[in-house]
Amino acid sequence: MARGIKDKVAIVGMGCTTFGEHWDKGPEDLIVDAFEEALADAKIARSDIQAAWMGNALDDINVGNSALPLAHALRLKAMPVSRVENMCATGSEALRAAVYAVAAGAVDFALALGVEKLKDTGYGGLPLRTKGLANDLWLPYGSAPGSFAQLAGAYAAKHRLNGDDLKRAMAHVSWKSHQNAVHNPRAHLRKAVDVETILKAPMIADPLGLYDCCGVSDGAAAAIITTPDIARGLGVANPVTVKAVQLSASHGWEMQYGAWDGSYVKNTQEAAKRAYAEAGVRDAASELSLTEVHDCFSITELVTMEDLGLSEEGRAPRDILDGRYDRTGAQPCQIDGGLKCFGHPVGASGLRMAYEVYTQLLGRAGGRQLDKVDLGLTHNLGGAPFNSVAAVSIFGRLN
Amino acid sequence: MQAEAKVVGARAIGSVGAYAPLMRLDREAAARALKFSGLGGRGIGRRAVAGWDEDPVTLGVEAARYTEGAPGAVVFASTSAPFFERLHATLIIDALALPSTTRARDVSGSRRCAVSALLDALLASGCTLVAAGERRPGRAGSPLHLSQGDGGAAALVAEEGAARLLGWASLSRDLVDIYASREHPEPYAYEERFVRDTTVSQVIAPTIRKALANAGLAGSDIQHAAVHEPVAGLWRDISKATGITAPNHASDVAAALGDLGAAHGLFGFALAAARAKPGERILLAGFGSGCDALVLEMTAPMPGAESAEDALARGLAFGDYVRFLSLNGALEMDWGVRSEFEQKAQATVIERYGRDMVGFIGGRDAAGNVQFPKSRIPVRPDAAGPEPMEDVRLADDPARIVSVTADRLNFTPDPPFWFGLTQFDNGARVMMEFTDADARGFSVGDRVRMRLRVKSHDQRRGFRTYFWKAAPAERPILGGP
Repeated sequence: MARGIKDKVAIVGMGCTTFGEHWDKGPEDLIVDAFEEALADAKIARSDIQAAWMGNALDDINVGNSALPLAHALRLKAMPVSRVENMCATGSEALRAAVYAVAAGAVDFALALGVEKLKDTGYGGLPLRTKGLANDLWLPYGSAPGSFAQLAGAYAAKHRLNGDDLKRAMAHVSWKSHQNAVHNPRAHLRKAVDVETILKAPMIADPLGLYDCCGVSDGAAAAIITTPDIARGLGVANPVTVKAVQLSASHGWEMQYGAWDGSYVKNTQEAAKRAYAEAGVRDAASELSLTEVHDCFSITELVTMEDLGLSEEGRAPRDILDGRYDRTGAQPCQIDGGLKCFGHPVGASGLRMAYEVYTQLLGRAGGRQLDKVDLGLTHNLGGAPFNSVAAVSIFGRLN
Repeated sequence: MQAEAKVVGARAIGSVGAYAPLMRLDREAAARALKFSGLGGRGIGRRAVAGWDEDPVTLGVEAARYTEGAPGAVVFASTSAPFFERLHATLIIDALALPSTTRARDVSGSRRCAVSALLDALLASGCTLVAAGERRPGRAGSPLHLSQGDGGAAALVAEEGAARLLGWASLSRDLVDIYASREHPEPYAYEERFVRDTTVSQVIAPTIRKALANAGLAGSDIQHAAVHEPVAGLWRDISKATGITAPNHASDVAAALGDLGAAHGLFGFALAAARAKPGERILLAGFGSGCDALVLEMTAPMPGAESAEDALARGLAFGDYVRFLSLNGALEMDWGVRSEFEQKAQATVIERYGRDMVGFIGGRDAAGNVQFPKSRIPVRPDAAGPEPMEDVRLADDPARIVSVTADRLNFTPDPPFWFGLTQFDNGARVMMEFTDADARGFSVGDRVRMRLRVKSHDQRRGFRTYFWKAAPAERPILGGP
């Protein structure tokens, strides 16, 4: 009988580059920056690392396939390295692999590193795909905002919400993340924006305006995983441990079977349910100190609050407008600015979320440090609401 | 040389169809935009403008969908069809989900080709569908650019039908009023006075008179005409020269939609058939490198004919001349870096999936659930393994919108890019593109109908693929111009 991975592994080192437009850096530079920070944090020798997983989502631009770019950049000698990819949930996928390797006892130290170097495409948003196959014969080639925008219409229709009211709650989501990112020196966008500006921004995909969308960035983040015993041996008395790592992926039900109403993300619900069980969380709304969720678009964060069970169904707009998820609210969300403002180098984002929770758990978050942090959740969503991969992870301290 | 009419065929026209794209350019607005130049021709009426995702094949298919019957052969007629080597009629057979044993043929070479094919079908044996579609390129400022239009028309010839052939005549004559060539794909027009003077006296009137004689009728015996005028306003001269005082419904098509090229004669006939009563006679004449004239008698109301009236009555008028130029391809816009993505389609993939895509064929699993596309293991949640799937065509099934957006980020030649989840009443659910948005756009819960459209256009390699898109179930009624 599987017992899950709660407290079987510890995170002893993490690193994260500034996210943004790194015109002066290639992916190998970002890899080195994130790794060196994590290595210094872990206080181990680079030769201690026995296996590595590199998360990189978009092989059409820059990094390329396999994890050889990681091995080359870090000069990992004859090390087992693999590239993992699960769309925007890629960073969490790299972490999951490293966690499982250590939990299985296969290695003592494993590296998870996510990297994406997107800003060489020459345009905003995600790179355009360049491979045409069977799906191209029928599937619309919509953008990411186009895919997520559809949540809004379906959510409004289901809850009989006025579009303007929903838009105002969505605007608050983005307003809050901009407020938070001002205090984060590594964030891509560190500028507060008022709600009226957000509401009046040019439309990207109805009803998502410019400020309802996260941009994409260059960046990398890394985690070094070991066992709690080894961590203690390194002098970390009460290490940060992984309480749960869960993943749920679509099998066509949303897109092809007539039961889904388009207003929520099924895989977030499934992954959260399993993660809470694995971590022993009975009431997420009161037990989680903070959340870092996949706010690729404001509407995604809004429905995620319900999908994670933090807001009751239909209540998220009210809770958001009441400030529940603000920095000063009962359950801060995106204290680092989130995808919206910290940025979204796709393959690194899941690890960036973990980095923020890790930093908060250790009380190192400086100007954005929260008062009391016991448990933090990351939610990393790949694909589109109708065809998604959702990773939900929970982190805390060993004792 | 003028051919003799010997026998009147044993076939009849059993049904017809007519289709015009949603968008109608007000010629007056176009004339205003062109005022500085003094170019563009007459500023009256409207021009039907194909959407970016419509081409002669899709226009012909939409018209053919109104016909009823099981053709043994499909003839596709167009002077602007996209391929020189790839049979459009075969694509139409797939799009209509006809058996692959259906014979297929493309005809081209003149605007007359569809009427010629119809005459051939009436004189031959078997059941034949003639489908015509036209989306002719044009150069901004040329009178033809605004006088022509985009559209489709179809007629199905069967053993029995609502219109029978009483007489006919043909004339072949290389009288070049306009031409298009590989080196000059946009139609090139010669002097209009020359065309007016010679086409009526030398080609059209003699052929019509011969057809009437072969039918044993006089011009006054004709109640309706569908005569393809080489240029607008010639019907008065033709009428005088043939004694036919009936209204020419093809003139109405030219005014409301434009000269539809190969589809024009069949469209005019469908409109005439919609307006004719049983017992009345229709003179149908196709023009271009000669003339074919057919004298037909209505024996019953014509199935599908109302589609012609409907196509004239419904649409969306617009006056944005630059948008028209862009849609029509007369203006090449710089759509930015996002438009540079690769659209190559692979023949191997088309061979595996193409027929199900063009025919919009999904599958019904062992428990009765319908899905698209088909899969070895059904999407039904309680499916435990592979199941046999029965083909189900989705093109004609009603559906509604579950989720939708107007995407302004990704490239489309006519923004925004509407797409979303579509729920068919039969249970199938498909993420698909939406098309033909009117001023209201699309909303959750809207009823939609399926239209065949261009899915991808690989301009670099000159290739395109087709799939179905969801359009509003009803089009808006057009006001007067």
